[in-house]
Amino acid sequence: MEGDIMNVGAGLAIGLGAIGPGIGIGMLASKAMEALGRNPEAGAQIQQNMILAIAFTEAIAIYALVVAIIIKFV
Amino acid sequence: MSKILGSPRSLAILIICLGVVAASVLGGALGSAFGLGFFASSLPAIQLPAEKVTDGFDTPVGKWDVMNTMITTWLAMLVLILISLRIRSKLNDVPGRLQSLFEVAMEFFLSLCEQIAGKEKARKFFPLVFTIFIFIIVANWMGILPGFGTVGRIAGPEEIAHHHDAHGYHDPALEDSSHGSKESKPKAHGAHGDDHGSHLDSVKLHVFQDYEGIPIAALSPGSLQEELTFAEYEEKHGDIGAGKRAGHLVPFLRSANTDLNMSLAIALVAMIMVHFWGFSILGFLGHAGKFISFKSGPIGFFVGILELISEFGRVISFTFRLFGNIFAGEVLLMAMAFLLPFIGILPFLGLELFVGLIQAFVFSMLTLVFAAMASVSHDDGDHH
Repeated sequence: MEGDIMNVGAGLAIGLGAIGPGIGIGMLASKAMEALGRNPEAGAQIQQNMILAIAFTEAIAIYALVVAIIIKFV
Repeated sequence: MSKILGSPRSLAILIICLGVVAASVLGGALGSAFGLGFFASSLPAIQLPAEKVTDGFDTPVGKWDVMNTMITTWLAMLVLILISLRIRSKLNDVPGRLQSLFEVAMEFFLSLCEQIAGKEKARKFFPLVFTIFIFIIVANWMGILPGFGTVGRIAGPEEIAHHHDAHGYHDPALEDSSHGSKESKPKAHGAHGDDHGSHLDSVKLHVFQDYEGIPIAALSPGSLQEELTFAEYEEKHGDIGAGKRAGHLVPFLRSANTDLNMSLAIALVAMIMVHFWGFSILGFLGHAGKFISFKSGPIGFFVGILELISEFGRVISFTFRLFGNIFAGEVLLMAMAFLLPFIGILPFLGLELFVGLIQAFVFSMLTLVFAAMASVSHDDGDHH
C-alpha cells in the first residue's frame, strides 16, 4: 500500500514538474525563432544563447525528475 | 525507388535492416509479452548511490571503499593526462590533428572568456573553466561506451538486503551449506518478515548464470530472464537450480557524474574559486560588502542576505543539473535497451552525446559567468 502511494507520488512529481519547464522551453524556442526570422545573420549567437537558456529551464524539470527518482528508488 | 530496390546489394541491405528491426521488436520486452523476447534481459536494478566494487583501505578518517564511479573518474583523469602528455611531447608550430583539435577548442573558450569577462580577467578564469569543460565531457562520453553499467560482479541477497536497511537478513542458501541447522531459519525469516518486509517486498532478485565461480556477470541480451522476489527466494531456501545465482549486478564501471558526490565536488570547487577570485580582485571588503552591506539601509541589507542565500542555491543547482541529466540519461539508455534491444537505443546514444556536450558546456559557461559577476563590484555595475 505504501509502495503504491509512493509510485503515484513519483509520477505526480515528474508529471507536474514537467509542465512548467515544458511551457518555458516552448516560449523560449518561439521567441528564438521570432528573433531568427527578424535577424537571420545573428543565427549562430541566437542558437547558442537559446541552448544555454534551455539548459537552465530544463534543469527545473531535472529537479523534479531527481525528486521522482529519490521517491521511487531510495 | 525501383532502381534502388532492383540492385541486389541494396536489396540485401534492406532485408538485413528489416530483419534487425524485426528481431529487435520481437526479441525485446515488447515481444516477451507474446511469449517471444529471446533477447530480453530484465531491467537492471537502478541504484541511486554509487555501488561498492571492492573493499578499500582503512584510513585514519574512516573506511575508504572503491566505488564504481570512482574508477571511472580515475580513468577519465588518466585519459586526460595521457592526451596532455602526448600533445606536449609533440608540440609543434604546424599542429597535428590532435593538437589542432585542442587548439580550436581552447581558442573558442578563450575568446568566449574574453567576451564575457574582459581581456585581463579571461586569462585568470580560463584554466578552471576549460578544465571543468574537458573533464566533464570526457567523463560523460566515457559513460556511454559499451561495458559501462553492463559488466560487473554479482551482489548476493545479503548485500542487497543490507542496502535496504534489513541488516539481520541471512541468505538461506549460505546458511544451509555452512551451518546445516534448520532451526535458525524460521527465526531469521520471521524477523525479516516482521521488521523489514516492506523494504524488501518491492525488491526483485535477478537470476544469473554461474560460470564456475567466476565472480563476473554481464548484462548481455538474453542473459537474464528470470526474476525472483525475496519471498520466493525464501520459499525455495535459496535453491534456484544448478549453475545459477541470484542477486543484482554491480557494474565495475559507471558514468562518473551519476554519483552526486562527483558533481557536488566540481560545483564546490567552481564556487569556491569564484569567490576566491571575487576576494582577490575586489579585496575582502569589496566582495564581502555585496552580501553584508549597511550602506543602503535595511532593504539593501536584506537584498545582500538574499544574494548570500542564492550563492548556496547555485551550488545546489549546479550539482543537481549535472547529476540529474547524466543519471536520467543512464536510466533512459537502460530502459531502451530493455524495451527495444539493438535499435531502440541508437537515437538515444546520439542524444546522450549531445547532452554530455551541452552539460559540460553549461557547467563551464556558468562558472565563467558567475566568476565574471563576482569580480565586478556593484558600484561599478551601475555605470555600464
